[in-house]
Amino acid sequence: MRNQGRKITTLSLLVAVGILMQLIESFFPIFVMIPGYKIGLANIAGLFALYAYGNKEMVIVTTLRVFISALATGSLFSVSFILSCTGCFFSCIAMTLAKNSKRFSIYGVSTAGAVCHTFGQIVAITLIYAQFFMATLAPILSALSVVSGLCIAYLSAILLRRLRKQEWQKANEEIGLE
Amino acid sequence: MTRADKILITLCLILSIVLLVPLFFMPAKGAYAVVKVRNEEKMRLDLAQDGEYEVQGTLGPVHIIVQDHKVKVSQENSPKHYCSKQGFVDSGVVPIVCLPNETVITIEDANGNPTEDTVIQ
Repeated sequence: MRNQGRKITTLSLLVAVGILMQLIESFFPIFVMIPGYKIGLANIAGLFALYAYGNKEMVIVTTLRVFISALATGSLFSVSFILSCTGCFFSCIAMTLAKNSKRFSIYGVSTAGAVCHTFGQIVAITLIYAQFFMATLAPILSALSVVSGLCIAYLSAILLRRLRKQEWQKANEEIGLE
Repeated sequence: MTRADKILITLCLILSIVLLVPLFFMPAKGAYAVVKVRNEEKMRLDLAQDGEYEVQGTLGPVHIIVQDHKVKVSQENSPKHYCSKQGFVDSGVVPIVCLPNETVITIEDANGNPTEDTVIQ
């Protein structure tokens, strides 16, 4: 029972951190030149939940984060919200599959999630606007999402090593890294 | 990083290079200025070619200039000269309308569709 309360508290803190990061990131578009590109710092929360707890917890943290930050920015059910949802849907599936295959380390899992997030968003934009102009940005965006996926994985790895030493070691032992 | 990680990252980078290839084979989008007088198409001007043209409007000749992928009406005969005051236009959603001369100039792509007009936030 005590563990259950502790887990819920940690997950809600993770959601809060994710929302905060998403909001801060929406204030400072880092790469103005490439439309639609963000590092995706908010995904640290999801990745942390995936390694510290499991697949179900990651889905919960990501879904709550997307919904509540959309409420906070006033973009609930707008186009950007739909993009965010489809992106997170695809990235959650990709990260779950990559983690369960037990072949990838956190870097591979995060990269798979980031690339699938990008492609989910491109598919959603193409369907919503019924135009293919976003496909011209797909090569740049997918290459950049590899970079941002690695950055997020690096940051999450630092966090996990300090805060969740046991789970981190267990996850690495499963794929034969430690 | 495991070997699978490296393979995945390489595959993703190769994928983004492969996605670049079809962009080189895309036909160049030509934009045209379509000049209509009394809803009848009089001219279809290629915006890539600079030039000066003239159509007969209701009140007299309408002088059109195409320059740097933009089009404008330079001289026409009308009470307030709204369309020649408008200046150069390069957007598919901004037509040049000269009502006294019943002349309308719109920008379309090669297939006759209006050019793209989408803003993403």
